[in-house]
Amino acid sequence: MPEQLWFTALLNKVFGGPVNAFLQKLPPALHPAHPEAPISNAVAMEVLVVATLILVFLFVRSRLSVSKPGATQHLAEMLNDFIAKQGEEIIGHGSERFVPFLTALFLFILVSNLIGLIPGFISPSADTAMPLGCAVVAFTYYNLHGLRVQGLGYIKHFMGPVWWLAWLILPIEIISTLARVMSLTIRLYANIFAGDMVTGAFFALMPIGVPVVFLLLHVAVSALQAYIFVLLTTIYLQGAVAQEH
Amino acid sequence: MRKTMMFIFVAMVMMFVATPVFAQGGGEAAGSAFKWAIPIGAGIAIGIAAGLCGLGQGKATASAVEALARNPGARPGIFIFLLLGLALIESLGLYALVIAFQIMKMH
Repeated sequence: MPEQLWFTALLNKVFGGPVNAFLQKLPPALHPAHPEAPISNAVAMEVLVVATLILVFLFVRSRLSVSKPGATQHLAEMLNDFIAKQGEEIIGHGSERFVPFLTALFLFILVSNLIGLIPGFISPSADTAMPLGCAVVAFTYYNLHGLRVQGLGYIKHFMGPVWWLAWLILPIEIISTLARVMSLTIRLYANIFAGDMVTGAFFALMPIGVPVVFLLLHVAVSALQAYIFVLLTTIYLQGAVAQEH
Repeated sequence: MRKTMMFIFVAMVMMFVATPVFAQGGGEAAGSAFKWAIPIGAGIAIGIAAGLCGLGQGKATASAVEALARNPGARPGIFIFLLLGLALIESLGLYALVIAFQIMKMH
């Protein structure tokens, strides 16, 4: 029986049977490592983060009004403008269609990082799966938009400036594009995971006073890493979507 | 366009739901005469990485502060480039940390 948080235990008790049945019905029948707890801690925390975010969005939606904007609307608009302004600075015109995805990504990563600070919960970003998921989604997103805007001429980006070096530059560019997925993943995972380890180490050494500093550092690092993830995705979008006039 | 992307993302979710299957693999039989060198290797790796990362970030911060002193009006732009540069350099040190963890798992 693996060690479970109270929320994970609750989800496993309620949904454990259906999840096991679903996993076994998939084309390659999957058997979880612990059949009595098929939902892992990280997955349960991600579900909690998404449920919390959806509740917050519904709450904000119910408080929107054109003539008398309240505090909630101002906060939501500030967040949206932050990402939209950055998108416009980096990508230029045509950036509005990317703003919902970038805002959702930013909020998801930010709340996933911060939820680890609450006792009884862990950050899903401290597990390798969730940053990899976000990186693969961001990678797919910017490549699909690059293909949409530039058609098959998108491949010309990977060929370099001169045609007679394309045989050399193409493998290098492909590897460096795949390395973006790895770098986005490891940057987020290692920052949050190492932050957890360091906080844990200082808790063991000096339980009073000193860990507060590390918790504050973890808050700052969480926000910064979410921002950097979205900033880098925006820059990759700009590289994929930009057209020379 | 949005429908295509939704379809692709849902297909990816269906394919990647395989994570519960990956249980922890077993250990391997390394050369047991040199097991004492494994923590030393991890320590050297992370020491060199942290030191060089500190040098790089110091240089980046120094030039950002100098640019800000010359042109205080460019503060938002300089701040964004400083944050981006620091996070990218930091991530190189973190790659070394992850490798050090992998090395220590062999011990």
